[in-house]
Amino acid sequence: MSKVVQITDQNFEEEVLNSDLPTEVDFWAPWCGPCQMVIPIYEKLSEEYEGRFKFCMINVDENQRTAVKYQIMSIPMQKYFANGENVDEILGAVPENTIRTMVEDILKKFPANEAGRLKVLLSSWVEHNKKHTEKFNKWAEKTENADSEPVIYNRALQAAKEIEKANEQLSRLLMELQGK
Amino acid sequence: MTRYDVIIIGGGPAGLTAGLYTSRAGLKSLLLERGALGGQMANATLVENYPGFPEGIAGPELGSLMRQQAVKYGLELVTAEVTDISQEKPYYSISTTEDSLEASAVIIAAGSEYRKLGVTGEERLSGYGVSYCATCDGFFFRNREVAVVGGGDTAITDALELSQHASKVYVIHRRDQLRAGKALQERAFAHPKLEFIWDTVVEEVSGDKVLEELKLRHVKTGQQSNLKVNGVFVAVGLMPNSRSFFNIIEMDDAGYIVTDETMATSAPGIFAAGDIRRNSPRQIAAAVGDGVTAAMSAFKYVQEQG
Repeated sequence: MSKVVQITDQNFEEEVLNSDLPTEVDFWAPWCGPCQMVIPIYEKLSEEYEGRFKFCMINVDENQRTAVKYQIMSIPMQKYFANGENVDEILGAVPENTIRTMVEDILKKFPANEAGRLKVLLSSWVEHNKKHTEKFNKWAEKTENADSEPVIYNRALQAAKEIEKANEQLSRLLMELQGK
Repeated sequence: MTRYDVIIIGGGPAGLTAGLYTSRAGLKSLLLERGALGGQMANATLVENYPGFPEGIAGPELGSLMRQQAVKYGLELVTAEVTDISQEKPYYSISTTEDSLEASAVIIAAGSEYRKLGVTGEERLSGYGVSYCATCDGFFFRNREVAVVGGGDTAITDALELSQHASKVYVIHRRDQLRAGKALQERAFAHPKLEFIWDTVVEEVSGDKVLEELKLRHVKTGQQSNLKVNGVFVAVGLMPNSRSFFNIIEMDDAGYIVTDETMATSAPGIFAAGDIRRNSPRQIAAAVGDGVTAAMSAFKYVQEQG
């Protein structure tokens, strides 16, 4: 599933400038043919680089403030950001490999801030655990007696509780890291 | 090294159609595209002359449908640019930016790209006022002054389209009359926002971070002048993407590939289709037809090779 984040004038600062990961922003518009042709490339790379590099899209038609700020006069235009700075760009519809080279290059030039990487990792970890705990609890409610495998059922319940506890710890660590 | 029955170079309508036919014929087929699939077609907001779509269809959508149809029958797609092609009998060896490949037959459908002005500042200000796609970028010049360079159908269509956004559109043409069709000319001459600058070429584009000024020269008097504009749209024709093939097949002086009616080039087993071919009418429907013919000829060739 694509991990490309949809950006607006409102969340540009938070999602791009304050991003913990180096970030690509694709300035595009629905009427621009070449723009449509590169979107699948970003969708693919966003999955591959999940947790290491962030891919975003912004519709210039609906978000003119940001387009003006970055002097966008031609699309598709991909701007690359690291530590809140616009560090590079790619103009036009280019092959996957050109984008990949740029991403690798930026990852090398701007070695990830370890705390930032840890934040991203922890938050997705906590989220993942939460989702699975919820799923398990729902299942456990419905299956009041797991007659067929009582031992395994009980041991799974036990394990789920321990995970929940561990997840609370991770969650606290994440909040500490975020300085909350 | 991965070996294919046929490798198709270029993912526009000619290449995608050729791939559809060779795949359906059971040939192991690969299509190489260096950029985005769809070719020049992807720049067309609405295609109104491709049969079967009475209301017209968006270029990218038509490209996407052609891709889906070809992939359904087993065509493999790879993003890479061809850097060299050589014959190692009985195969052709194709070097790309990604990999080296081998094929019994090759279909070149690499199309054409926008011709640049080739003047100082053009490269640097590309994307910052210098554009080759009025449909894509016209939007950014609302209430600004722009110029179009060229005098053909594309230039005039661009100028009329830009007039919907821009406050003023100069058309700079090196001759004293347009090449564009009569109906387009009449609309252009009647348009209040369009102003024609005849017998004039652009010698330099300049600006600090974004385009500010064009340096012009009148070709008859040699007189130079400056024109302040925010954008310049270059529409001076197309150039065939045939550089990688010049050492292996015959081309005309402009770089278009010479073929016979079976789409065969001067090299046995290499076929060409679409805009890259000499005397191509440069229409999607024609490219599709070329793709079919090239695929059938390639099929026959591969069979004969055994």
